[in-house]
Amino acid sequence: MLGVQKMKFNSYHEPETIEECIQILDEQGADAKILAGGTDLVIRMRSRVFKLKAVVSLNAIPELSEVTLKEDGLYIGAMARLMDVSKLELLTDAWEIVKTGAGNVSSMQVRNIATLGGNTCNASPSADTVPSLVVSGAIANIIGKNGPRSVLLEDFFTGPGKTVLAKDEILVSFKLPNYADKTGAVYKKYSIRGDTDIAIIGVAGKITLNAQGEVVDVKIALGGVAPTVMRVPKAEAFLTGKKLTDQLIEEAAVIASESCTPITDARATKEYRTEMVRVWVRHVLTDAAQEAQKN
Amino acid sequence: MQNKSNFIKVDCEVNGKPVSLHVSPDQTVVDVLRNELGLTGTKKGCDDGNCGACTILLDGKAAKSCSMLIGQVRNKKITTIEGVSNGEILHPMQQAFIDTFAIQCGFCTPGMILSGIAILNENPDADEEEIREGLHGNLCRCTGYVKIVEAVEIARDRMNAGGAKNEI
Amino acid sequence: MSDCENTNYIGKSVQRVDAFEKATGKAKYFEDYQIQYRDLLHVKVLRSPHAHAKIISIDVSAAEALPGVITVVKGSDTDIPWSDLPYASAYYGNPARYEVIWAGQAVVAVAAESIEIAEEALELVKVEYEMLPYVTDQRLAMGVDAIPVTSPELEIAAGYGGPQPEGPNVMGSYKLRHGDVDKAFEEADVIVEEEYQAGKKSTSQIECNGSIVEYQQDGGVKIITNGCGVHGVIKNHILTMYPQLTSSKVRVIQPVTGGSFGNRLFPLVEPLAVLMALRTKRTVSYVLTRKEMYTSSPSNWPVYTKLKLGAKKDGTIIAEKLELVEDAGAQIRGYFDGRLSSSGLMCVYNIPNVHCDSYAVSTNTVPCAPYRGLGCAESEWAMENLLDVLAEKLDMDPLEIRLKNMIKNGETNAYGEKVTSIGLGKCLKAVADGIKIDEPCQQDDGPWKYGKGIAAAGKQNTPLGRAEADCLVHSDGSIEILVSCDEQGMGVQSALRQMAATEFKIDIARVKMTRADTAITPFDNFGASSRTTYTTGNAVIIACQDAIDQLKEAAGREVGLAKKQITIKDGKAYIVGSNTEVIDIADLFKPFDFFTQQTWGLLKGTPVRGRGVFCPAPAVPWFGPGHEDGRTPRMWNWYQFSAFGAEVAVNEETGQIKILKLMSTADSGNPINPKLVEGQIDGGVIMALGFSIMDHHMYQDGKMMNPNMSDYRLPTTLETPLQKNFMRAILPDPLPDGPFNAKGMAESIMIPVGPAIASAIYQAIGVRPTEMPMTAESILKLIKDKEANNAK
Repeated sequence: MLGVQKMKFNSYHEPETIEECIQILDEQGADAKILAGGTDLVIRMRSRVFKLKAVVSLNAIPELSEVTLKEDGLYIGAMARLMDVSKLELLTDAWEIVKTGAGNVSSMQVRNIATLGGNTCNASPSADTVPSLVVSGAIANIIGKNGPRSVLLEDFFTGPGKTVLAKDEILVSFKLPNYADKTGAVYKKYSIRGDTDIAIIGVAGKITLNAQGEVVDVKIALGGVAPTVMRVPKAEAFLTGKKLTDQLIEEAAVIASESCTPITDARATKEYRTEMVRVWVRHVLTDAAQEAQKN
Repeated sequence: MQNKSNFIKVDCEVNGKPVSLHVSPDQTVVDVLRNELGLTGTKKGCDDGNCGACTILLDGKAAKSCSMLIGQVRNKKITTIEGVSNGEILHPMQQAFIDTFAIQCGFCTPGMILSGIAILNENPDADEEEIREGLHGNLCRCTGYVKIVEAVEIARDRMNAGGAKNEI
Repeated sequence: MSDCENTNYIGKSVQRVDAFEKATGKAKYFEDYQIQYRDLLHVKVLRSPHAHAKIISIDVSAAEALPGVITVVKGSDTDIPWSDLPYASAYYGNPARYEVIWAGQAVVAVAAESIEIAEEALELVKVEYEMLPYVTDQRLAMGVDAIPVTSPELEIAAGYGGPQPEGPNVMGSYKLRHGDVDKAFEEADVIVEEEYQAGKKSTSQIECNGSIVEYQQDGGVKIITNGCGVHGVIKNHILTMYPQLTSSKVRVIQPVTGGSFGNRLFPLVEPLAVLMALRTKRTVSYVLTRKEMYTSSPSNWPVYTKLKLGAKKDGTIIAEKLELVEDAGAQIRGYFDGRLSSSGLMCVYNIPNVHCDSYAVSTNTVPCAPYRGLGCAESEWAMENLLDVLAEKLDMDPLEIRLKNMIKNGETNAYGEKVTSIGLGKCLKAVADGIKIDEPCQQDDGPWKYGKGIAAAGKQNTPLGRAEADCLVHSDGSIEILVSCDEQGMGVQSALRQMAATEFKIDIARVKMTRADTAITPFDNFGASSRTTYTTGNAVIIACQDAIDQLKEAAGREVGLAKKQITIKDGKAYIVGSNTEVIDIADLFKPFDFFTQQTWGLLKGTPVRGRGVFCPAPAVPWFGPGHEDGRTPRMWNWYQFSAFGAEVAVNEETGQIKILKLMSTADSGNPINPKLVEGQIDGGVIMALGFSIMDHHMYQDGKMMNPNMSDYRLPTTLETPLQKNFMRAILPDPLPDGPFNAKGMAESIMIPVGPAIASAIYQAIGVRPTEMPMTAESILKLIKDKEANNAK
């Protein structure tokens, strides 16, 4: 036979409605996987990490790619391609951070195919889109056999590669709540080869100031340093209500580096990751504070 | 070996021609292109979506054909390296790669040429940094990229100077 | 008639002969031949997950029972060639028999009707291992107390003679004694000494290694492969390994082929693919996965160097003492002895007193083989870095100390060889000017600090046997050159074509190349040590001259003139010294038909065949009685040189390095095709940039941690400086015996890149790296260490 490397699943489903999709997922059970862009899933199937019986593609359900601006925020469909998200004009000011995260994922060829929902549901601790979405307060809108539900994105992940999604559920969209005035948000990916690499660490920070220039709200999310993307409540609490100085930011960065639990892998040692958290939290908070003053 | 009852029908357009595939769904796009359609110009260099040798155009946009299942190209327009030239008449991107000696072992070349075309599809005036940003998903071990970037720049200038068109 | 000048193609950037087919996707690489075989079998290999373990048992029964599995091979099978030599598998990729000595070694192989069936079968194989201690760090592998890489009793049983007196893992040694080093160090005004390490790396060509082996009805095999050396390596090895395959039964074809950079110099996939074809009597395909390319195809050999230099106040280096250890990876008793790497420390500077002890050790890591530069990028890393330390102590600049001590043309080096071509001086001056080494970088308050550095390099060419060429003159007057050299993208067949067209004074469009098919093309050894332009090039010239000679004789006979009176150009014969045309070459070939056969002379449709054989003079022995000093008047053949300059930025907070500007110069001898030489410069520079600051094997628990193209960080377009900051120059010193005075050049390019970057880092932030690659983490550690020292 020819040199085809098949993955040996039995059925390929391409539902055209969400209802049909949920029904198929319910029938197929745990042996099925959802196909969004496929840029991670296909590779893991080929390397026999995943052995599946069925693949359920979301590519024929147009409403999953919709982007809608509503009163209460911006809704981005889970199947929105990362390339489109990285250029989405509705993502302005404090939402621009979502553009940055999407634009940091791999190369043009991957971003053209991969989706925002796929990058999230993959639940990689170093997914570039997730820290930005988390500090933006994104809400995951889910639908399943028992109807719709919404989960704060930071509660969506239960471990590396694991989410709260039940086997009959899919992620439909992300809701980005409206942001306050004087809010600045910044994401920085640290890697050796820019976007080509998976992030060594990713740091997102969002700061909202009041008229006096004091911190009203601050969120810090770290990628690549724990089993899931993590917030740093201790550092956030430390900064809240204060007027930011270089010294305070440095102290918050130290708290962040002490709060994370990175591992050593092929991309970096845990010691290096810890040190990089300190460096990049400082840069991210400094830049976010500047942005906040501008907005 | 294969139980044909699981086969799926995929209608798409490959290099300007309508194609109706009846295939096992557990195959990647690159394997179908190479083995079912004999389009061996699309190369396989890694198993993990990193080298870019399998780059094709999907509705004019670059995609890695090793990272997609064949079902994902339903109703799409695929362009492979074999569909870039018009018979003996080369696409300006191909001609520029030849003229600048941007081809050495040639294994990354089809992917590079298609990425180059995709970059200019998106932005006909892409500058050097934008070209480099667009090409970083294509690895080359022979040329050091210098002449490849030069080739895309020359193709851009020739296409913008008129005459040559870039409709893929 | 054409102007002779127009048919001199030397030094002209003629279009590559293979560019069109490669730009259009028409070029067929070995894997593209798969679709011709509808009944292809696929080979997949189960590999050791352990760095060192004894194989207690292997159960393949479930795999064999799987429908679609045709045959299963394990190390104890008797039809495996050399199966009684447990370590042969390191080189030839066959399954291990007694024990595995690195994570990635073949254990069981399956041939099945499809890739998925073969992979599934491997998951059904049960192997019981008994763990043994392993060593992956070459410094820990040295010495008599080191953990043995293999079990000694197996080694003795296999006829290797067991552990060496220097230690269980020492494979061989080379020592050189030149002058009186101890006395010279006493006389030196300044002495510097340091230890250096250069890491383990993979060539990572984008086309994975593989073969298709077609079983023939006569019991023979046709091998379509991207392996190197169709005659010299593959056919020769297959004939040796499989006695039932006699010469007429093995045909090896190398179609269009991706890069190799030394990685494919040993037949890694062909032996197993042939075995499977012979067993199954079917056509089989065996293609390594990307992971296997990293864990199971050879890496470079890492080098540890302890170097000591002594100099007079004026900067003259008078003493060099070095201890060098090559890490050969998981293999026992090979050609490794430290000589190849240490050659880099003899060939650039003329030092009158040299004491060199070099060794090779094995480790439980991926076996090592040549990687572009043959260990010189690894050893000269030490020399070039230490020269900077010395220059600083002497208050000299890096250019001055190098120019002062560089070997000059006609001088004799430490081996006792006379150097006949060295263009290094102008290379060095050009890079120093190019990056304006005298102008310090502007610094700012940000985390990025800036610096500049330069370095020099040389690389020997090993005389590696002969090349043959055939030159056909067809009866339409066109030329066809038949050669078996490897073409892995460097453009050598284009360069050979230019040589042939120039010899014939003919339009190059009328010269065709036929390459690398043992049934058609004559012997060549293999493409290594930058030898092809030189060795195959000389053979092509001789073949052309032979054919021209035959044409002159035929033309002379046709018109009643002596051969000496005839000259050939533009497809025609002329009288020497005049423009008088005697006869068109095509008219020398006589038409014939069924009744009027020609009784003599050249026949239409049947070409004239010129033959060329060229073999560089072999090395003069440097070993054995009477050669205790390791010296010889001919160790190597000739030397290529290069210099490199870089302006870099170093991030004090992260340790990250960016190359902002660079210049590379090459002494290529007289370049046949400058654009092709430029391409080799560009590719070499970026490959070296990668292994200087990023790409390397990382081991954890005896296993490679990063065997994929995501975590094995190869340079992309974004790590390469912008076009305007990427400078290069070809600054040749003609090689007297090179074809049209050319020599190879693609290896020396790599060597000075790392040291120049290290020099720039020192200028930027005041730390001196001693380990390559200079990863961000390693640089940050140096910065922190320095801060800690300053705090004290």
